[in-house]
Amino acid sequence: MRTPAIALVAAVSLFAFCTRASGQEYATPAPRTTDLRRLHALAIARAVHAYFTRGIADEQRGAWDDAARSFEAVLALHPPEPQNSTARYDLAIAYAGLRRYDDAASQLRAALRADPGFLAAWANLAAIDLRRGDLAEARDAARRLLALAPSSARGLYERGLIALQDGDLRAARTAFSTLAGSNPRYALAHYDLAVVLARSGDLAQAEREFRLALALAPRYARASLGLGVVLVREGRLADARAAFAAAAAESADDPVLHVLALSLERELEPPPAP
Amino acid sequence: MPVTMRRFGDLALAAALLLGLLGVGVAGTHLQRELAAAATALVPSRPPDLLGPITEAGRSGWQCVPEAQAAARSWRDAALPDPEH
Repeated sequence: MRTPAIALVAAVSLFAFCTRASGQEYATPAPRTTDLRRLHALAIARAVHAYFTRGIADEQRGAWDDAARSFEAVLALHPPEPQNSTARYDLAIAYAGLRRYDDAASQLRAALRADPGFLAAWANLAAIDLRRGDLAEARDAARRLLALAPSSARGLYERGLIALQDGDLRAARTAFSTLAGSNPRYALAHYDLAVVLARSGDLAQAEREFRLALALAPRYARASLGLGVVLVREGRLADARAAFAAAAAESADDPVLHVLALSLERELEPPPAP
Repeated sequence: MPVTMRRFGDLALAAALLLGLLGVGVAGTHLQRELAAAATALVPSRPPDLLGPITEAGRSGWQCVPEAQAAARSWRDAALPDPEH
């Protein structure tokens, strides 16, 4: 009689030892205060958390209007740092998705006033300014990013694009050379460097960089087109025609580039035999 | 999460092509005009997609992917455009 009772007690003890009580879990701790100011702060914190969660989910599915509303709601609650600058950064992404580039830049500037060391905000400000054509601010944003993170590939890439758009070939060459040096297998670093060199009249180096880009990305039609242009300037018409043919073959998804490459290829067709 | 943007340079390429075609129309088939258009079409690559959103925890800490991407030395870690994708 005693043995089964001991066994039962042992089994129950073992079960209790091996299992843990499960209960409802909350994303944020339940309030343990009756202080009104403290309760208000906790309510704000919960609302901020909920809006952030919803806004980020909306951005991930491209629902920019919904995302913008969520982050505007966060900012209306006047959260402290780092939530303030973060909400402005996230709101800028939503505005950019809506093509409201001026509003996006404005939010990023405000985020950077609150947190001047915010690398991702500097990077996105430069990218947005490139799209809205504010090259002066874009240049400054890329400069600030590189001052904080000197080996930033994104900073170098953005600085190079900005300089090219600005016609500053020397700055563009420096940026893309540095990027290609630290990323020798990055096709676009070689492509952009080739564009700079071609515009500078350095055809031999431009050809070399276009070929490097194509060795890394053989289906990059723009590099084939650029190579063809350089080869024509060098007087190598047969090679140029082959490059234009390659550009035409790889540009089915880019009708404008495709027509241009085809047109150039036909221009270089050898005359029919008499 | 990358944010898709319209491709930069398409406008320049279209303008260049238009100039080239106009040249062909006015002066007949002429390689130099086509090449002038193509040279104008030597546009830089497209701007990078925007870095993705950040949670309410903010940018500090190793978990913040966009902040790490902004500082990354490698083009892949920096989420820069890939010409073949």
